[in-house]
Amino acid sequence: MKLPPFDYEAPETVSEAVELLAEHQDEASVLAGGQSLIPLLALRLAHPALLIDINRTAGLSGVSATDGWVAIGAMTREYVAEESGTVAGAVPLLAAALPLIGHEAIRSRGTIGGSLAHADPAAELPAVARALDAEFVVRSQSGERVIAAADWFEGYLTTSRRPDELLVEVRFPAAGRGTGISFQEVARRHGDFAVVGLAASLTLSGGAISDARLAFAGISDVPVRAAEAEDLLVGERPSAELFDEAARRATEDIDPPADLHGSSDYRKKVAATLVRRGLRAAADNAGERQ
Amino acid sequence: MAGIAAERYTGASIKRSEDPRILTGSGRYVDDIKLPGMLHAAFVRSPLAHARVLSVDVSAARDLPGVVAAFTGAELEAMTVPGPDVLMALLGGGGPTPEFTLLATDKVRFAGDPVAVVIAESRYLAEDGCELVDVEYDDLPPVANASFALDPSSPPLFANLGDNIVGPRSRSEFGDVAATFAHADRVIDFRIGVHRHQNVPMEGRGCVASYDAGLGVMTVYAATQSVHVSRIAVAMRLGIEQDKVHVLAGDVGGSFGLKIGASREELAVAAASRAIGRPVKWVEDRGENLTASGQAREESFDVLAAVSSAGDLLGLDVKVVIDTGSYPGMGTMVPAIMEAMLPGPYKLAALGFESTAVTTNKASYVAYRGPWASETFVRERVLDLIAKDLGLDPLEIRLRNVAPRTDPPAAMITGRPLVGVTTRESLERLAQLVDFPAFRRRQAEARARGRYLGIGLATFIEAAPGPRSPEGPSGPMGMESMRLRLEEDGVVVLFTGQMPHGQSHQTTLAQIAADEFGVPFEQVRVVVGDTDVVPFGLTGGSRSATMTGGVALHGARQLRAKVLDFASHLMEASAQDLQITDGHVWVRGDPASAIAVGEVARRAASGQFGADVDANLEVEAAFDGGEGGWSGGSHCAIVEVDVETGMVTVQRYVVAEDCGALINPAVVDGQIRGGVAQGIGAVLLERSAYDEDGNCQSATLMDYLVPTACDIPRIEIEHLQTVPLDADVNFRGVGEGGMIVAPPTVVNAIEDALSPFGVRIYEQHLPPARILELIAAADSGQ
Amino acid sequence: MKVDITLRINGATCTGSPEARKTLADFLRDDLNLTGTHVGCEHGVCGACTVIVDGRTVRSCLMLAVQAAGCEVTTIEGLAPDGELGTLQQAMWDSHSFQCGFCTPGFVMQATAFLRAHPDADEQQIREALSGNICRCTGYQSIIDGVLLAAERARQS
Repeated sequence: MKLPPFDYEAPETVSEAVELLAEHQDEASVLAGGQSLIPLLALRLAHPALLIDINRTAGLSGVSATDGWVAIGAMTREYVAEESGTVAGAVPLLAAALPLIGHEAIRSRGTIGGSLAHADPAAELPAVARALDAEFVVRSQSGERVIAAADWFEGYLTTSRRPDELLVEVRFPAAGRGTGISFQEVARRHGDFAVVGLAASLTLSGGAISDARLAFAGISDVPVRAAEAEDLLVGERPSAELFDEAARRATEDIDPPADLHGSSDYRKKVAATLVRRGLRAAADNAGERQ
Repeated sequence: MAGIAAERYTGASIKRSEDPRILTGSGRYVDDIKLPGMLHAAFVRSPLAHARVLSVDVSAARDLPGVVAAFTGAELEAMTVPGPDVLMALLGGGGPTPEFTLLATDKVRFAGDPVAVVIAESRYLAEDGCELVDVEYDDLPPVANASFALDPSSPPLFANLGDNIVGPRSRSEFGDVAATFAHADRVIDFRIGVHRHQNVPMEGRGCVASYDAGLGVMTVYAATQSVHVSRIAVAMRLGIEQDKVHVLAGDVGGSFGLKIGASREELAVAAASRAIGRPVKWVEDRGENLTASGQAREESFDVLAAVSSAGDLLGLDVKVVIDTGSYPGMGTMVPAIMEAMLPGPYKLAALGFESTAVTTNKASYVAYRGPWASETFVRERVLDLIAKDLGLDPLEIRLRNVAPRTDPPAAMITGRPLVGVTTRESLERLAQLVDFPAFRRRQAEARARGRYLGIGLATFIEAAPGPRSPEGPSGPMGMESMRLRLEEDGVVVLFTGQMPHGQSHQTTLAQIAADEFGVPFEQVRVVVGDTDVVPFGLTGGSRSATMTGGVALHGARQLRAKVLDFASHLMEASAQDLQITDGHVWVRGDPASAIAVGEVARRAASGQFGADVDANLEVEAAFDGGEGGWSGGSHCAIVEVDVETGMVTVQRYVVAEDCGALINPAVVDGQIRGGVAQGIGAVLLERSAYDEDGNCQSATLMDYLVPTACDIPRIEIEHLQTVPLDADVNFRGVGEGGMIVAPPTVVNAIEDALSPFGVRIYEQHLPPARILELIAAADSGQ
Repeated sequence: MKVDITLRINGATCTGSPEARKTLADFLRDDLNLTGTHVGCEHGVCGACTVIVDGRTVRSCLMLAVQAAGCEVTTIEGLAPDGELGTLQQAMWDSHSFQCGFCTPGFVMQATAFLRAHPDADEQQIREALSGNICRCTGYQSIIDGVLLAAERARQS
């Protein structure tokens, strides 16, 4: 299972990187953490002519908080984000999802941007980004663009990043007062991809739900927001009956894929269970953030 | 017993002599071997499950810089001798042997079937070359599973066999089947299936082959369970005399039955090395291991059980279909063992058995740790199902049916005597270790709170090596040989045909020899893995504890006697007055007379003694197993099933096992736990999956799921006091038991957890989605 | 295409010219003859190839050798350079942690890094930390026991 041959560049600046992308477009693959790309190459499912290694590209790592947002450089390692006090405090949903990504050795190398640019619908970070309406900052020779999460995920392993663009930063909104979160997942084993996952966030104000976010992993070719369920929840007071109804609404029209790890029907049932469990947990810890 | 050192090592968990190199990364596995001029092989493999091969064009691969050679199946066929699978040839096949070539020539028969081999300066370049090989296929309808294969209109995989039934066995009957069934209170029928899963050793198959044209010698560094069986395979296929084939093995990274003989790929690599005149290495990658190395256990059973209303299992009538995949070997031999073992330790009065082995477009059926194990699954599932029907407790029904230990011993209806079997004791011990009534109370409380706990138990026996039979040596491979020698440095060297791949033989055999000969443990060395140096042997069939432990024990005694005979000339005392303890020979009662055994050996080698003194301090020992014996035990699992997600947690796992006298308890416990882990894996995680077009869907470790440290609980093990049968050798094999009995143990527990839903389970693979399906089906009354 | 690299392996400076596509695992094994790091799957699941890079465990099959330029890499060979086993290795020996040994270097590296960061971890934490390493022989209990024993001994000394 050896990688196919490719040319290799390790640009030191973002402008060098985007220049290479402008020149090579689809013929190039960007190497970030490598935890998804290298297995693909080893299985010879991809044969890029050029690998652009951005591990030495300056200015792409770091976590900073400004103005109600947390900006995370695309090359920020998953373990760095996991250990970040800023992330723990301001983006608790991300903090809850990170330890579920693979294993420690994967998170040593895997990056926030890499995972989100790879866009595996069964991965944790895409669901979190979709739930929180994260923003994706891409740069090319023509300048910078900011893409909303709703527009970022286009299909299976496909994003709206153009071939000449480099993802440089992902921004997550900081959780407001009264927000509780939960990341729920059913995985075959500890550390595996989610068979079904759910990123859930509830904001309570005066005992009623003022904001509700539910985004699924593993039920489609992209992470999916359960918009009808969210609409149902806003304005209501948490209750088991409400959450049951939300679970029903969130899953009645989904048509999840079937594979070795679960039938479509199984994923649908589990999705509903995760909504109930996720909403209960999120409501429980909403009180802690004041 | 006079003069023998008090037992110091046997029975103790002596630290392994293998570990210093294992723990520091200094082990030598086949992929660590580097020879000057060595090249690397990679295989072009069929993406189709069933197709005619119209053409294979390797010219573009040959032109790639760095590629030294490329061979098609036809070219390899011209350089080798046609023949069957070596295991079938050695052990006696179960029917007509299909003819097949090392690489596919006219046909491919599974997705992954090798079609060409590319040899290059590196594995990277060899794989590049493979991408340039152009193969034209003409698709054929895939024989996707056993029902396709049983359909006479399915295209035969092998022209010379005519259809896809490779191992028809006519029906056997033991006892009066018709009368037993006619007089039974009830006859219950079941269809029970076991799914396809596989060995997955951490190290895959591989070898380095190096042909010396000047000497005409083929040297093969192998990852194998027997260097001698590998040698036979290479010699046969390459048309070289056996004594011109030299097989060596160092450390082997697990096998569980996979690495026996030489695979088609290894033989192709040996032939290529001879043709090119340079050493060639091939180590399979994980994709090859999962799709092409072989798989096991896909069997379906139609079972009729004759029972009394009180819960006696009077008779079984079993028809099994076994899916042997594409290049049949081991799979055709397994039904005979299943038939022999089906009665288990129970008082079964009648057994009817017939089997059919079919060939399909999947990877070949290979031996996997307890290859016949499905008979235990079927029997232990049937007992639980009967118990439920009759309202009996699972422990109660088993105790009722266990054959009592009598003298002379009761015999299984299929022939073998149940001598020394402690099934009753192991079941009773389990009941002491696991407080069943307390669990039932906990279970009821949990159910009231919407949580589903379950308890399951199962029992087994295994012929490890089995009791002495009137016909001759115990065990399937006959006599066990060993050469033992006292070296001039005082080390006792054991040369054994065993090929440890995790069994710790270099420690356990040294423990026995040290005790019996009279030297410290550190003064024994166990040599394995060189056909020029070790006698014939094979590690498998859970036989080494008895057979090799036994030959080490008796051989060490023989060597000691020989050394004392010689020493009597040195020390002017008669041999009966001499003893060896702590590495010294001395006259009993006179410590000042002590001479180090190394010094004795140096004197023997000095040549100063005449022809009437036997100064050759070496023996060739052989052992037939003595009285042999059964291994067996009872296992119990407590599980929790999350009925919303189907996830199963094994909360507690308890083993009450009798594997005879223990040579090294830590080694024994490790073998049991590893086997149990594979059994848990089989039920909850592992499946070798194919779709209806014959595409393998479990081609990476992301889809073929192996249990991790979060999936296997602490496994509590208690060893029963065994029934000694032999004056000296009461060690019995333990390697396969865990894997044989863990699957029914866990499935029984899951069914118990789901009994409020009325679930009945007739299969072995229960991933979360299946658990929810079973609950839904039972709910809707299916 | 080949890339010249310099890096530190087990405390010594090494240079090489691996092809860009060569994994760190293959570079260690083939170019530097450090065959203690084993290759078990080449797609980042089994953990047999685990090494420590700049203080963190990494699956060396999922890193290109060229990416390790300028890094501090520790392999299994670097843990007992003078032949004397470290606390963890000794504890694993005493606990009969392993059987065939193929998974062993990966487990030793993963457990070494984990215990450094979490010397007082409990059994469940250890199981989770090691759940990315696959062993087919042992059922894991003896490995966990070795790690627990090492932690206990480290606390006592």
